[in-house]
Amino acid sequence: MVTYLTRRLLMSVPLLIGISIVVFGLLQATPGGPLSNGGEGAGAQLNPEQIERLRDEYGLDDPLPVQYLSWAGGIVTGDWGTSLRTGRPVLEMIADRLPATLLLIGLAFVISLAIAIPVGIVAARRQHSTFDYVATGVSFAGFATPSFWFGLMLLFLFSYSLGWLPSSGLEDLRETHTGLDGLWDRVKHLIMPVAVLALVTAASLTRYVRASMLEVLDQDYIRTARGSGLPERTVVMRHALKNAAIPVVTVAVLAIPELFLGTAITETIFSIPGIGRLFIESADQRDYPVLLGILVIASLLVVLANIVADLLYALLDPRIAYA
Amino acid sequence: MIGGRTRARLLAMTVVLAAGLSACGGGGSSATSATTPTGTGTSTGATAGADEGTAQRGGRLLVAMTDEPGLLNPLFTTEAAADVSRAMVVEPLFQPLADGTYEAFLAAELPTPENGGVSRDGRTVVYRLREGVTWSDGKPFTAADVVFTHRVITDPRSTAAVASAYALVRSVKALDPLTVEVKMSKPNPRYLELWDVVLPQHAIESTTVTTRSPQARLPLGTGPFVYADWKSGDQVTLTRNDAYWRDPELPNLDGITFKLTPDRQTAVSSFVNGEFDTIFYLANSDLPDVTQAAESGDPIEVVMKEGLSYGSFLWLNHSAEGDGLEPNPVLGDPAVREAIDLAIDRQSIIDQVVDGFGEQIGSYLFTGFAAHEIEPAAFDADAAKAVLDEAGWVEGDDGIRVKDGVRAELDFTTVSGNQSYKLVQQLIQQNLKDIGIDVKLRTDSLTKIFAGYQDGGILANRRYDLMMSLDGFYADPADYAHVFTSASIPTAENPNGFSYSHLRLPAFDRLVEAAGQTMDEAERRRLYGETAELFASERISLPLYATKWGWAWNEALHGVTTDAWDGQWANPDIASWNLQR
Repeated sequence: MVTYLTRRLLMSVPLLIGISIVVFGLLQATPGGPLSNGGEGAGAQLNPEQIERLRDEYGLDDPLPVQYLSWAGGIVTGDWGTSLRTGRPVLEMIADRLPATLLLIGLAFVISLAIAIPVGIVAARRQHSTFDYVATGVSFAGFATPSFWFGLMLLFLFSYSLGWLPSSGLEDLRETHTGLDGLWDRVKHLIMPVAVLALVTAASLTRYVRASMLEVLDQDYIRTARGSGLPERTVVMRHALKNAAIPVVTVAVLAIPELFLGTAITETIFSIPGIGRLFIESADQRDYPVLLGILVIASLLVVLANIVADLLYALLDPRIAYA
Repeated sequence: MIGGRTRARLLAMTVVLAAGLSACGGGGSSATSATTPTGTGTSTGATAGADEGTAQRGGRLLVAMTDEPGLLNPLFTTEAAADVSRAMVVEPLFQPLADGTYEAFLAAELPTPENGGVSRDGRTVVYRLREGVTWSDGKPFTAADVVFTHRVITDPRSTAAVASAYALVRSVKALDPLTVEVKMSKPNPRYLELWDVVLPQHAIESTTVTTRSPQARLPLGTGPFVYADWKSGDQVTLTRNDAYWRDPELPNLDGITFKLTPDRQTAVSSFVNGEFDTIFYLANSDLPDVTQAAESGDPIEVVMKEGLSYGSFLWLNHSAEGDGLEPNPVLGDPAVREAIDLAIDRQSIIDQVVDGFGEQIGSYLFTGFAAHEIEPAAFDADAAKAVLDEAGWVEGDDGIRVKDGVRAELDFTTVSGNQSYKLVQQLIQQNLKDIGIDVKLRTDSLTKIFAGYQDGGILANRRYDLMMSLDGFYADPADYAHVFTSASIPTAENPNGFSYSHLRLPAFDRLVEAAGQTMDEAERRRLYGETAELFASERISLPLYATKWGWAWNEALHGVTTDAWDGQWANPDIASWNLQR
């Protein structure tokens, strides 16, 4: 197991290097650079001498391989560069925004699972029942709903029409709440963004749990378990679910990077200061060091999620042994 | 430059304007004597909400802000969002007013030739500072700070992004603690644009100030508020400056919180809903929503700006592609330009695209101190056809006109992703089709359109016939007028040039050059008026319509005035704002 983990981690190094080269190269290939920011209005911005000086300071005139190596070296040693726009270290800016995003992703993930597993199991157990049809219908609708539209509709309904939930941010700005009251305030602010973020994930996981359960419930050993007089509950929860969970785990773990990407829209609509919005702002302003930093984190997340999924396989299924 | 603002910022701002342009300068402004910058507003704009009953102390104002600036010191960034600092934290020597003129603020008076502040040759200006002004940390504000600010701006390693008016400053000298003498290399009619931000010498160690310096990020100023906190992506918090120099009773508010709400629709709806007290720069596209809410009884005060803000222009490329500046085969013909001007139904664009919140314009100068009114061409398709007939453009089999083998076809580029622009494009395409001109629509990214000559920018490399974007909202038109001169045309020799027209018109060049060096305000205004007449008769570009602009705040907020150049914002009366919930 340890050898396997070591091998996987070592193998991900060239993978990450490859990704970083592609990401770096793609950004360089986009038209316009951080210092050729155009727009409307006749006024000049920085004068040519200032641009020259900044290009020099940020090493933008060095050959690309040199730029890449100095950037990649910085990533490894913990110097992720400085934002062109705010003059702050990239790592510091990302660290500022990370907590809000982690909170959103974490909650959305847990809630997706909490919905998908029971709904999927019940739908599979009672295939072709009304419950099954409703669950299937709702999850397809969830798939098909664009999250920005869903978010705006929730806002319209619960904030503007009914006035039940606050429309933006993570806390009440007019007064400070403490204790239980503070917790409730936070929950009120999180309901809608987490719902939007969890929608697609919950919908797809439900489908997977249901399909996987159906397949397992058809197996001989389940019939044997039933035939040997075990209560249905034990059959489903102990014998079927564990086997059905194996394919679901892959999908679930890989949903985490997807949630990460989904935050861009959710955070913008609900004014939450997270990484997703930082990414959009930086892309808007061509703040390459920050963009690259976020892309590195996203790639790390995808690679790690893959490793974790594989490891979970082994834990769940003794037949899979990694040597 | 301060007035220009980063072009990219406007990207986010849908159809029209949100960026309040600050102080682009008002040239040798009308020499009104220095007014005391206290109390509520003067009378220019509508000043609803100011003021019933006595001002209340205390309370925290909650403001929705859609764009986050990278830095908050306006001396180091061109982003409009850095205007948060203006009048709240940093204060100018001269406060720009709605009509493009100035009043003395941290200065004791406006320097004029009459009071000896401006030398006869216009090359020396003596600025006298107001007595008793203190930084928010209690240290006195003196001439040394002004001198220091200039040293920072001119330090080659600093990254100050200042108005082009600073380029003429040759030396800055403190004559005594309250007097600064500035020598210019040429007569500089924009001397009141200088010193809109002054840096505190005692709080900065070296003259090298870059984007990484703490003072570039969160400035220390003389204003009624001080920065308490900036949570990136979340909120900017200001608290009361308890030792404000103007009056220790001011400001009335305990503090202001700017909450970032990047989605405009969310910001507007939450404001209407009462979650925010006001919005940091309302956009033209927000006006229908807020006026409707106010009419339906929501407790919202909406005040429309008396003048106009940004204009939508149809830029005409007078030259063919390439550095030779050969005339454009179609638009090079004045008859075609005249026909296009007559064929566009401006009013229906205003009605359909900006919900009526706009006004037709005929002059490229329609804001600021040199605004010069010219009647826009009256929509008349038949007259347009007659002009083309007379000029020899004959209709072909497909209904498109041809002259000397040249087909009247034009491409029309605008910024992608903007539904309003797309609609305008389609309306104009139809208008021109009606008179026999074929228009092909194109869109491209903002960056690609405005990129420089060497980066392959579409404008800079004149790879367009027609183009539409916003411009023209300036207190002082000097830089803006310069864009249409020969000197601004980008070529291999002049890669940093920026032009909308690519036209060489020596008469226009001479007028702009003269206006840029004239100290007498009336004469300057006259010269700019002449440029506007020439602009219109040659149809250098076609001004289409200018958008209306306004402000909105919750009725609980009192004391708001809108007579500063930026209206509600960058307005010294913010100190008098008070909440009565």
